Amino acid sequence: MKTETDIHLHSLSQAIIQGLVEEAGPLAEKALAAGFQPLQVIEKACLPAIEEVGRLWECGDYFLPELIAGAEAMKAAMAVLQTAMKSSGQSLKSAGRVVIGTVEGDIHDIGKNLVASMLRAAGFEVIDLGADVKVERFVETAVEEKADLIALSALLTTTMLNQKKVMELLASRGLRERLKVMVGGAPVTEKFAREIGADGYGESAVQAVAVARALMAGGGGNHD
Amino acid sequence: MIDIRSLTGKKIFLLDGAIGTELFRAGLPSGHCPEAWNLEEPEKVAAIHRSYFEAGSRAVLTNSFGGNAVKLFRYELQDKAYELNFQAARIARSVCPPGCFVGGSIGPSGKFLQPVGELTEDRLYEAFRPQAEGLAAGGVDFFLIETQYDLREALAALRAVRDTTPLPVWVTMTFSLTKRGYFTIMGVSPEVFIRAMEEKAVEAFGANCTLNPAGMVELIKQMCRLTSTPLIVQPNAGQPRLGEDGSAYYDQGPEEFARYVPELIQAGARIIGGCCGTTPEHIKKIAEKISLLSDKID
Repeated sequence: MKTETDIHLHSLSQAIIQGLVEEAGPLAEKALAAGFQPLQVIEKACLPAIEEVGRLWECGDYFLPELIAGAEAMKAAMAVLQTAMKSSGQSLKSAGRVVIGTVEGDIHDIGKNLVASMLRAAGFEVIDLGADVKVERFVETAVEEKADLIALSALLTTTMLNQKKVMELLASRGLRERLKVMVGGAPVTEKFAREIGADGYGESAVQAVAVARALMAGGGGNHD
Repeated sequence: MIDIRSLTGKKIFLLDGAIGTELFRAGLPSGHCPEAWNLEEPEKVAAIHRSYFEAGSRAVLTNSFGGNAVKLFRYELQDKAYELNFQAARIARSVCPPGCFVGGSIGPSGKFLQPVGELTEDRLYEAFRPQAEGLAAGGVDFFLIETQYDLREALAALRAVRDTTPLPVWVTMTFSLTKRGYFTIMGVSPEVFIRAMEEKAVEAFGANCTLNPAGMVELIKQMCRLTSTPLIVQPNAGQPRLGEDGSAYYDQGPEEFARYVPELIQAGARIIGGCCGTTPEHIKKIAEKISLLSDKID
């Protein structure tokens, strides 16, 4: 039987799964008011909910609108919870630091934005460089920001070659061991990722999160 | 005026292949607006169209896929939408042999409608309107609103064309195969798409991009069961790979691509062309296959 307080977590979780962006923030506040610690709310309501959103997407029950709404609702709840954590001097353990962007010559940012929001929702710290980002900028930002991962998006067959250039620049600066690289984008395939020597490839934003986690855990990110 | 029903009765109407990959092969710099070449390098654009007509295309699509004002804004060319599209049509027209046709290509904005994105349907309509006007004034025979993923956006583009000209309009959406069947990324099913297109009396419709020829066969079969409107199919030439020289290429060659043409026709496709990675060589091979089958199409 659900207790009074469980209901708060359940409602918040449902709001994220259903992508109710307006309701997620207030529901997170209610959960705090009911006596939950911010971290408990994150671990017991938010993270399982966003994972459920990802599962529904992978099953083919959810499409892009539902996935984005879920990530937005998650963001609204996390804003409330992180403020609460800060004011009590706590901080959320980062799942990892990711520098993300669409490579030079490519202005597409839909997929990249989606991956960025899913990574944020999963607890990663994301430094989003936007679209049409120069090879050097990825590498320099990753070093400055002490990132763990670089995530590269490309939507054109011509620009996907810039993903390879990032790999080459990392190698020439002796950074290849320090930074893991994951790639994605409509024309990018598992095979291509392997050919350019990337550490991981995600076919969808949901997979990208799994790949990022695997890379942080020290494993390979390739799905083969 | 082009009457696609009479052109596809017991016959296959052959479209062209990719233009984007051909433009890059002709030297379009990465990051440069492809439609800008209609003003800067009209000869190179014309040469691509010519090569498709020579390969056997009955119609080519104009170099205007990204010619809507929303997409051109990224290159600060939004005020040139009409002119770039007008020139796109003029170039294709100038190399179009008698008995062949020019289709005005209208691709997606690349942005999302509210609530996922910021766009409204009215804003999209305004972005497609100068494109439709430019293409119509430049002399296209029909329109192809292509690679759509959001039905609302496809309908906004359709409205912009219909308010501009009585020319025929065709529409393709891009579907992927999910665990629950074929859907666009926004969740549009072939059923929902077909219902909307029939309601608007769109002259021909179908699927392009994302899938390779083998992947299109089942989708076209499903669509064929739901409609008697001529069906369009433009598959990708497989998947992009990295060549030994460091350049990207699509891994399905002309011969292998064309191998699926009989199956696609049997599935119900009547208007056939190629999407990403297809070349004049692919179209030539498809044309050869079609001529072998010419007495078997009903």
